[in-house]
Amino acid sequence: MNTQVFNGSSETLGEVQLECKDLAYSYSSSHVIFKDINIKTYTDELVAIVGPSGTGKSTLIRVLANLIPPTAGHVFLNGIEVKAPSSQISLVHQSIATFPWMTALDNVKIVLRNKVKDDEATEIAKKMITLVGLQGHEDNYPKEMSGGMRQRIAIARALAASPTIMLMDEPFVHLDELTANSLRSEIYSIVFNPENDLKSVILVSHNLHEVVQLADRVYVMGGTPAQIINEIKIDLPRPRSEEEPIFYEYVKMLYNDLIPKESR
Amino acid sequence: MELDTIALATLASLGRVMALILVSIVSGWFLSYVAIKSRKFENIYISFVNIFESIPVIGFLPIVLVVFISGLGGTLGVEVAADFLVFDAIVWNIWIGQYQAFKTIPQPLIEVSENYGFGWWGKMKSLYIPFSYPRVSSDIFPSFADALFYIMISEVFSVGITAYKVFGIGTLIVQATSAGDLNSVYECLGVLAIGVVLITLAFSNFSKYAVAKYGLNTSTEIKRHVRYWRPHIIRWRPTASPTFQFARYTTKMRAGRENIQSAMTKVRASHSFERTGKYIGTAIAWLFLIFIGYSSIQVMLSVPHSQWINYFAQTPNLLYQMGIDYIRVLVVTVVSFVFAISLGYYLTVHKRISIASLPIIQTISAFPAPAYFPLVFAATASFLAHTIPFAETEIFVMILCFLGTFYYVFFGFWVGVRAIPVEFLELTQNYKIGFFTKMRRIIIPATFPYLVTGLSSTINSAWGGLAVAEYWPNIFGNQTLQVHTGMMKIISAGLVNGNIGLAAWASLLFAIVVGVYSIVFTRNLMDLARKKYVIEEGIYAA
Repeated sequence: MNTQVFNGSSETLGEVQLECKDLAYSYSSSHVIFKDINIKTYTDELVAIVGPSGTGKSTLIRVLANLIPPTAGHVFLNGIEVKAPSSQISLVHQSIATFPWMTALDNVKIVLRNKVKDDEATEIAKKMITLVGLQGHEDNYPKEMSGGMRQRIAIARALAASPTIMLMDEPFVHLDELTANSLRSEIYSIVFNPENDLKSVILVSHNLHEVVQLADRVYVMGGTPAQIINEIKIDLPRPRSEEEPIFYEYVKMLYNDLIPKESR
Repeated sequence: MELDTIALATLASLGRVMALILVSIVSGWFLSYVAIKSRKFENIYISFVNIFESIPVIGFLPIVLVVFISGLGGTLGVEVAADFLVFDAIVWNIWIGQYQAFKTIPQPLIEVSENYGFGWWGKMKSLYIPFSYPRVSSDIFPSFADALFYIMISEVFSVGITAYKVFGIGTLIVQATSAGDLNSVYECLGVLAIGVVLITLAFSNFSKYAVAKYGLNTSTEIKRHVRYWRPHIIRWRPTASPTFQFARYTTKMRAGRENIQSAMTKVRASHSFERTGKYIGTAIAWLFLIFIGYSSIQVMLSVPHSQWINYFAQTPNLLYQMGIDYIRVLVVTVVSFVFAISLGYYLTVHKRISIASLPIIQTISAFPAPAYFPLVFAATASFLAHTIPFAETEIFVMILCFLGTFYYVFFGFWVGVRAIPVEFLELTQNYKIGFFTKMRRIIIPATFPYLVTGLSSTINSAWGGLAVAEYWPNIFGNQTLQVHTGMMKIISAGLVNGNIGLAAWASLLFAIVVGVYSIVFTRNLMDLARKKYVIEEGIYAA
């Protein structure tokens, strides 16, 4: 068990799942995107990363998934260094990516091909489609589905790979407000459903309301090159309501971190 | 052979090709504009281009011989005949590409141009023409390569005992190889290689520039620090991007410098220009159709009636010969496909190697295989005759076809892979999707539209390769390469032996079969590709 201190309070957390140490990424020696990034996620925890545009949040998430090699630093999953892309760390993209020539079921099954028998793959895929609330749409093609439904398929696909960690790169940014709200309200129960093996989630977002609604803990990125400038625990019971004054206190706290005083 | 003669001949050949590429591009803009504005014209135009694209250059030889050589006659007739053959190798690919570019201009941009009353010329120079640059820049590669591939047929051809030739490097190479003059062949190839490398580099830079500046992919970096080459003869303005021009127009309009009345006068004038543009496009199309119709009638009339009956009687045999050729085309296409997929995929995952090797592949593909093939033949003929005497000729035919065609499907696949959104490639890495699953379920479906286009061009070019390889008299010294059975041999031999009627009938039969094949097979595949395999539709980004 680990103990971490947030904002002066002490709390007992679960096991460390994903950890990165001194992570840095640069396009060239003169163009450093971020440096000295140290992040940890614990069991059953949804961690958010926020930061202004251009701080390299999407790049960081790809480095965590090992899709891009870091310039410096290391990523560990359950204490073992990750040196190549792994389906243990699933990425859900900002641009909702589903294969247009595959049905919803095939889009989910693609991550299971040649790993389990076809019957078993179908069973798992159907279970995940049900989990994201799309039962009955298994034979639909992406173009027959709305943006929200497509993103649910992408999430079902990520879950079907039985990941330990799920990385979500602004997953609701391309959805209309109503659909995004609806999916936000369900996403926590979907990802932390006992039906799947997921241990923790990292969410990248610049929507502060979304972050306060979903995250257990928030890392704030800022500066040039970007670094972690603050870490905030969102100590609110679930389900969270935007109507509560304390919700806005958290939003304001994040806002103050992100926007320099002189710009407010 | 004198080196300055070789250099001049190379300049003449390359100049001929470049000038005809320019003619193709300019005429294509007019025709494509009319095609997107008139559904009736579009239907005729696209069918016409598709069918003619499928007919190899040699299929036009009977027309060329009758109309230009017999009709016009003299040096001018031979020159126009050669130009027409080169034009035929170049034009279809460019025309269809421009049409597709015009067809895919985003509706909001078209609406802005209508909204602000750009007029016909305003729309052409600010929207349609700039938008077609990326497509044109990619299409001139295969067109240039195709033109050079046929250089040996276009610049020098024989009918019976009469040989017709124009001044060019193709003619010099044919003369040198026929005489067995190896030194001159090497010199010609060397000088031609320099020209090809320089032009390929220029095309490559233009392509990068056009894609960066005029493409819709905003992630491509525009190299602003380079002032791109600006030939003084052509007042070509690289800063005339659609965005730049649009901004100028909209600012002008917003500033309210013109009152409504003068604006209306301008709109009326622009409509008049638009009509003029349509008339020019329609006139080009009609001229071409009239020429083809007139030429066909001339060919028919040049052969006695009784002879035609004899040719008709040979139809079953000709169809059988074409069937054999289809098998050859199938083999070449399958080999090209497998080779293109393997090499293309390897280069995709090895980026450094691809950066170094792609310009080399581009140059090799542009270098005309028939120019150096006689040397390959001379070096290997006796060895193959001893080791595999039963298939020696077929191997030569296949090699030449492959060398002249593989790059179509290769570049098609390459462009297709590069067009796959990065999210999908990340998914394959992230979920560790196996090689065969990835190829079968993701890469090949995602590149399907590009593969269909590439395969279609490969098949068309394979016919051209067969036309060259199935009957090649005096390929080296006094040796003749010829197959036992094949439609293309009948056409080539018919021309060489002065039997133009048979060659014309065989060409017509071939055109009909290829046209039907194009409508039934290629078009259905293209429709399937458009309906189901558009990878960009897989990205939902509101």
